Amino acid sequence: MPIDIYWRIGTHGDQQSLRRRVSSRGEWAPVVPGSLAPGVRNGRRDGYSYVEHMADVARASESSGFVGGLLPSFPFTDDPWAAAAALARETTTYRFMIAYQPGFLHPVQAARMSASLQRATGGRVVYNIISGGGGPAQLWWGDRVDHDDRYARTSEFLDVLKGVWSGGPFDYQGRFYQVEGAGLPEPLARQPFPEIYFSGSSKAAIEAAGRHADYYLSWLEPFPALAAKFAQVREHSTAIGRAPKFAVRVDVLARETEQAAWDEIRRGWAHVDPAALRGADGDSVGWLRSQSFVSWPVRDYRELEVSPNVWGGFHLLRGGPAFGLVGSYQQVAERLDELIGIGVDAFILAGVPHLEEAYRVGEEVLPLLRGHEIRRHSSLSPISATKGSI
Amino acid sequence: MAAYPDFLVTVPTQGDGRDPLRRDRGEWRPRRPLPPFVTDLRPGAFGPFDHLAQIGRAAETAAIGGALVPFDPAGEESLVVAAGLLRQSRHLRVVAGFHPGVAAPVYAAKFSASLQRFTDNRLGWQLDVDLDPAVARSQGDFLRGADRYARAEEFLTVAKGVWHEEGYTYEGRFYQVLAGGFQAPNSGLPFPRVYLTGTSPEALALSARHADVHLFTADQDVETGVGELAAQSAREGRPVEYGLRLPVLARDDDDEAWAEARRLWDLAGGAGEGLPDPDPRTRLWGGFDRIAGSGPFGLVGSYETVAAGLRGYLDRGVTSFVLDARPHIEETYRLGERLLPLFAKEIEHAH
Ligand SMILES: Cc1cc2nc3c(=O)[nH]c(=O)nc-3n(C[C@H](O)[C@H](O)[C@H](O)COP(=O)(O)O)c2cc1C
Repeated sequence: MPIDIYWRIGTHGDQQSLRRRVSSRGEWAPVVPGSLAPGVRNGRRDGYSYVEHMADVARASESSGFVGGLLPSFPFTDDPWAAAAALARETTTYRFMIAYQPGFLHPVQAARMSASLQRATGGRVVYNIISGGGGPAQLWWGDRVDHDDRYARTSEFLDVLKGVWSGGPFDYQGRFYQVEGAGLPEPLARQPFPEIYFSGSSKAAIEAAGRHADYYLSWLEPFPALAAKFAQVREHSTAIGRAPKFAVRVDVLARETEQAAWDEIRRGWAHVDPAALRGADGDSVGWLRSQSFVSWPVRDYRELEVSPNVWGGFHLLRGGPAFGLVGSYQQVAERLDELIGIGVDAFILAGVPHLEEAYRVGEEVLPLLRGHEIRRHSSLSPISATKGSI
Repeated sequence: MAAYPDFLVTVPTQGDGRDPLRRDRGEWRPRRPLPPFVTDLRPGAFGPFDHLAQIGRAAETAAIGGALVPFDPAGEESLVVAAGLLRQSRHLRVVAGFHPGVAAPVYAAKFSASLQRFTDNRLGWQLDVDLDPAVARSQGDFLRGADRYARAEEFLTVAKGVWHEEGYTYEGRFYQVLAGGFQAPNSGLPFPRVYLTGTSPEALALSARHADVHLFTADQDVETGVGELAAQSAREGRPVEYGLRLPVLARDDDDEAWAEARRLWDLAGGAGEGLPDPDPRTRLWGGFDRIAGSGPFGLVGSYETVAAGLRGYLDRGVTSFVLDARPHIEETYRLGERLLPLFAKEIEHAH
């Protein structure tokens, strides 16, 4: 089975590097000379918006070997459906992995938008189904549904979406959704159904993932923890006769030498607000897990290296999850190979700045992967015995 | 005209790459393949111009003023590249390099009128007059010496003649036109901004009569050239602006920039040799031909160091900088985000 490697397209601007947590791309910071998308030309704004830069990142990663890009969705970001619609026509092979929370969008409307996007792109839509992290952000969207019920709703949502996908009439009576005589109209109904990357680390998430995931998608965690989580998902899925694949979302800071990579972290670390060294809002089990792998508080950035090249401080240098890989091109490729060894079938990689790092990782790291070779001989994997049956 | 810096970047004509010897972007050399077990959707879906388009878009997004596509008989054809870059931008001015032997002046003008119309008049010409004789012959051009300037003079005269006048007639040594001239909607357009080069008396005389911008390189005596050309253009009664083609390598600080120069130098086969020192007086470093395939002399240092070097040229009357840095997309972003803002005051004053 081939390994699909995605990139990430930031949907809330970008920094020039991890050295300073200052955004200069997009409208999330004041537009001044040196800003881009919008940029300043001859003292005036150039009429562009952040979507121009997203298009640059999409093309950069498309041409350096990534199959597509994850478009995240948060209260402060651009919207991934809108971004996918805008970028669809500016790329050729690139798949758009749209992150969204069921619940904010009616499943029939989601089906209609997805089918139209499939028609616009020749079937390049992929879903990242997320169910929210609770807390103020959840209320910001107007969503009061609690943690486990959100996964129940996600399950219903996907049932309805799949129900209407290939035409109707489709009836459904659920706790969250009811439809009668629903179904996509004829030309829309003949599109391939998007692959589902499903996220969530809680028990409720893992149960729902068992039913719906094509790929169970996790943030990077220390490898044994990740392998254990995959085993749980696999167990749940097998029980109901399904066999999802596994994907992991990994930040990457790779340089020619390991020293050069840590130098970048060191420069960024100098600007970290010590007060930011902890803090988790809401009910996300995944986030609490990620914080539990490190004994806080930490004083030095190397204390966050939980195993060789696996570093848990990325959230301190840019918005987003904590864990990623830091090292030489060769080391990062080896760690990715190890992840393939514990059962990973797809990656969503990311680096800051997204445009420049897409070229770097595509040109320097991906060609070094040895993947399957390692998986076949690996004794590392606690699940290698069951892997063959998937 | 107010002194202001206008920044252009240089578009590569023989591929692009992260390292000096790699030209795998833009498909000049083969890419390192992905391992067979990794999904690769690219084969068949991309061509070399996709990369060139991304370079143009990087310049557009980073709010760079323009891009120069040099004449390179051994590389991509510049007018075709320019047409693509112009089509995919809204603000970027694109200067296409070519030499007068490539087409009749009426034809070059006609082609350019279409491009001007398609792009809201953002095309420029860099006319390369003095080619290496062997290269010229390989392009079917056997004209030598001062005649090359005489022909360039006629070329520009005729091109501007048909551009601006209906019923235009010309009898010259090299070109003849009878009752030519463009009609609407190909008439009444601004003529492409003309960039010329060279330090010989013939070159400066041609520029005095025809250049909008005269471009120097850093190994030339810019001060003397500006002085002579200023005197001549005053006699012709038309203004000429001055520009400089300059490779740059700029980073957060001087140490980092020199470390990168060293890294690239080693990769380019210089590992056994010492890194040449920059000229202590001008701060120009002469290793760029090796690490970037551009002209040899350029500036290495922090953004502030490079800006100070450019200010030295601004003080001598240079107002256009055609910068060259590779890999082109990453470095274009860098120049737009880090170097150009250091000239924000000057730019605002000029407008
Ligand atoms: C790979 C990945 C991507 C995510 N992207 C988003 C996102 O774009 N927007 C969002 O609100 N939450 C996102 N989340 C967070 C989820 O909404 C949810 O809070 C998280 O998976 C925790 O769920 P749990 O409590 O079941 O572990 C993402 C989570 C993962 C693992």
